[in-house]
Amino acid sequence: MKKWLMLVVFSSLVFALVACSDDNESAGSDDGGGNDSGGDGETVSLDFWIFGSTGYGELVDEYMEEHPNVEITINEGEMEDMHNNLFTSISAGSGAPDIAQIEISAIKKFLDAQDQFYNLNDYGAEDVAGNFLDWKWAQAQNVDGSFQIGLPTDIGPTTMFYRTDVMEEAGLPTDREELAEEIDTWDSYYEAAKTVKAETGKPMADAPQLVFNALRDQQDQQYFNEDDELIIEDTVKEAYDYTTKMIQEDLIGQNELWTPEWGNAMADGSYATMPGAPGWMVANVKGNAPDAGGNWDIANIPEGAGNWGGSFLTVPAESEYPQEAFDFIAWLTAPEQQLRSFEIAGLFPSTPDVYENEEFLATTDEYFNGAPTAQIFAEAAQSVKTVYMGINYATVDTELNTALINVAVEGADPQEEWDAAVERINSQLERQ
Amino acid sequence: MSEKVGTKKVSTSRIFVYVLLAIATFLSIFPLYWMFVMATNHNSAINSVPPAFIPGAELVTNFVKVIETIDFFGAIWNSLIVSTVTTIGVLFLCSLAGFAFAKFSFKGKNVLFVFILVTMMIPPQLGLIPQYFIITKLDWLNDLKAIIVPGLIDAFGIFWMRQYISSNVPDELVDAAKIDGCSNFRVYWNIAVPVIIPAFATLAIIRFMYIWNDFLWPLVVLREESSFTIQVALRGLIDNYVRDNGMILSGTFWATVPLIIVFLLLNRLFIQSLTEGAVKS
Amino acid sequence: MSRTDVSIKTHKKSSLNEKTKEAISGYLYVSPFFILFAIFGLFPILFSFYLGFQKWNGLGEMEYVGLQNFKWVLTDEIFWTSLTNTLIMWVLGTLPQLLIGIILAYALNSALIRMKSFFRVSIFMPYVTSTVAVAIVFGIMFNSQEFGLFNVIFGLFGVDPISWGTSWWGVKVAISTMVFWRWVGYNTIIYLAGLQAIPNELYEAAQIDGATIRQKIQYITIPMLRPIIILTVFTSTIGALQLFTEPLIYIGRTYREEGITVVLYLYREAFSNLAFGPASAAAIILFIIIIIISSINVLIANRIGR
Repeated sequence: MKKWLMLVVFSSLVFALVACSDDNESAGSDDGGGNDSGGDGETVSLDFWIFGSTGYGELVDEYMEEHPNVEITINEGEMEDMHNNLFTSISAGSGAPDIAQIEISAIKKFLDAQDQFYNLNDYGAEDVAGNFLDWKWAQAQNVDGSFQIGLPTDIGPTTMFYRTDVMEEAGLPTDREELAEEIDTWDSYYEAAKTVKAETGKPMADAPQLVFNALRDQQDQQYFNEDDELIIEDTVKEAYDYTTKMIQEDLIGQNELWTPEWGNAMADGSYATMPGAPGWMVANVKGNAPDAGGNWDIANIPEGAGNWGGSFLTVPAESEYPQEAFDFIAWLTAPEQQLRSFEIAGLFPSTPDVYENEEFLATTDEYFNGAPTAQIFAEAAQSVKTVYMGINYATVDTELNTALINVAVEGADPQEEWDAAVERINSQLERQ
Repeated sequence: MSEKVGTKKVSTSRIFVYVLLAIATFLSIFPLYWMFVMATNHNSAINSVPPAFIPGAELVTNFVKVIETIDFFGAIWNSLIVSTVTTIGVLFLCSLAGFAFAKFSFKGKNVLFVFILVTMMIPPQLGLIPQYFIITKLDWLNDLKAIIVPGLIDAFGIFWMRQYISSNVPDELVDAAKIDGCSNFRVYWNIAVPVIIPAFATLAIIRFMYIWNDFLWPLVVLREESSFTIQVALRGLIDNYVRDNGMILSGTFWATVPLIIVFLLLNRLFIQSLTEGAVKS
Repeated sequence: MSRTDVSIKTHKKSSLNEKTKEAISGYLYVSPFFILFAIFGLFPILFSFYLGFQKWNGLGEMEYVGLQNFKWVLTDEIFWTSLTNTLIMWVLGTLPQLLIGIILAYALNSALIRMKSFFRVSIFMPYVTSTVAVAIVFGIMFNSQEFGLFNVIFGLFGVDPISWGTSWWGVKVAISTMVFWRWVGYNTIIYLAGLQAIPNELYEAAQIDGATIRQKIQYITIPMLRPIIILTVFTSTIGALQLFTEPLIYIGRTYREEGITVVLYLYREAFSNLAFGPASAAAIILFIIIIIISSINVLIANRIGR
């Protein structure tokens, strides 16, 4: 008999402990189930998944004050985690929120499963389409534009950060406009790189990927055409050749993005330019090089800008309140609110209206020698091209980057590395 | 501590042992020390070349940033609950099963035991989606049960207990107790448990640390801040595009401190049990 | 496994009733594992097995494709590369752990030393250190450039900088070192628990008989420790063949050929390429490989000390 007693006592102990921890959650999940009817006057509760520092908390509070019947619960996490959780929820058919933020790198994957999301065109997305930059709007659309998965939030138009001290040492212009005139094509970028190398011994850029990306983003077509055929041979091979040629001539370093040495190089001025740097890179540079203020400045990229990063707000098909969710995200992504989140958290607006706002344009940054950052990024935003990315964009990008790093670090033959990368890409693509 | 092997006072071998342990200690502790160094430095010092080797002055600043960004103490509390309950459950269930496998005879025992071993051989990564599906069916999302109950499945623990019991609990004792009329559970409780306390302590250390540091599964099923364990909460320190390693490692370091305390407590239990055992025999 | 079974059977002297009672207790005691496993473990496994014959991107409909997924995996060069990598890193990273683990445990158990608790805690610390910190620290130590810690050290002996992040052996050595570092303390603690259970009387008796240290290890320590050695060999082999965390920390989501392991390969197929079919096929193939290797392993380990 005693053993049964032990088992009972033990299991009740375990479950008592578990039950204790339960109390916190039950409140939240209860009101989720309590309003199935969702009629007028009843409280509509919306789960809202976000990542990064969006500063949306403040705006959500404001919205709830104006709409007392709407209750929005923010759930914030790391970007990759939030994407994975959304994927798992949709895959298992349960647990997705009413509104999910999705980054550009993942949007095509989810767009491929469009029956799992509401088509925002059915809820009035077409009426607000004019608010946004065309290329950004198109990123969250299927090929024929009939399905709109999300409304645009922020964008990452790219510019070229440069070290004024290195430029000065190399005898090149340090003023941002003069420099942009001096380096207005990739040919002149190459010439300037040779000058920098000769005068200072330093490379023009430290990360091969950044140079390659900057060139790639100026193409109308990049890795895939709209039939999802791999077309890199005709589109980005030239950018690859340009980059590897500079690597071989020691004009570009060998750093990989996000490594400590990449961060450190921002502080010690061991290279001249960082092409393809978007607005959020400002905080990165400041974080890694807090004492380098005044040594950095911002100019345009030769031959036009690209885009790096930015997100969308989507409404998964599980939501019971698609209209209310849409109304909220339409408000949140409207120009006035985008300007607010720029002010609060530095999210760069995707609504061109804001670019004419004088207060916005007057934003300058002391760290970058008082550069009118908002104005420079806004200009860049308007020259970004509309590109079809396709769901396998990241796979191709990973392999091409591996090839570039092999050329830079191992001194491998560029053509052989290219061929090997193409082979790896093809073997992965044929599985799908 | 009881006297053990080679009590001869051979100073060369003693020096050799000390040197060996000193090297092992240095190599083992160094990354932890460095984590502390990074937790006390500004992000830029971490990324500099050569990196900082001595603690900086940002200890408080970094930690304040951590508790401003996440509910650090709430998450530590959740982790303590999850790790403690799972560990106690695992110790009980695994020692019971291990005892049965080591000392009882019943039909199909070997097949069942091999089955347990085979479950360890399946790569767990692909089970994520169906496992999540089960949790949603049970309505355990955002519930610590979703971590604790599946965490009680521990094939290694059963294996460990079986091996330890089979070589350390003498069959004669078990049989003698049975002849005295002890029930099977009493044999387990009165004969086996006291002998295998070191095995408990070892398994407890391993399990507790594992549950505490695990984040892949909790990340999937805990989605509300109130239910976050510490590792899930720490993920919230990683920003989209901008990484503050000083802050991240500060959170990580302070999340390790409770583990070291738990380890020291269990280690004490471990040594105590051995000394007692020595006195008895 | 057989030795104890036999001894139980020969020691049986109880009635049939006793036997039935023992069997019932036995089933009862092992049942929680099987019940929990049936709820949480079985379905995922059957699901993976089923997926091996389907084409599925995780979000849409499934489509039956027969053995196509297995054909893809088995004809994929990268799969074989990943298998070779896994085996090489097993030899470099996991096997030495067991040997060094025993030596450290033996040292910690010897009466020669003081501050046992301090050493014990320190040696176990790598298991406690979080992966975020490990990633950063090892990134700095195995930096490919001249200022990387290991390159600086090797530089003192006139060795040219090694590209730890990209070269065939560099990546493997770096990952294996990380594996070794993270798990050697874990194995030490396990061996230590086994060593401390060996009664002193045995050693004392041997001492009186004039046995050397080597003889004591060979005739007392190893045989007494045999169940624990089998356990560690078995579990570390499985762990090595399922190597995932360390390569993911070190090469990240570039899935570089030099460091990709089988599990990393199937993880890439599933969650990066959304090809759950080939991923599951790879998982099934790996499962079979693990069964074969573990069986061989246990057979060999069974002979130790006999």
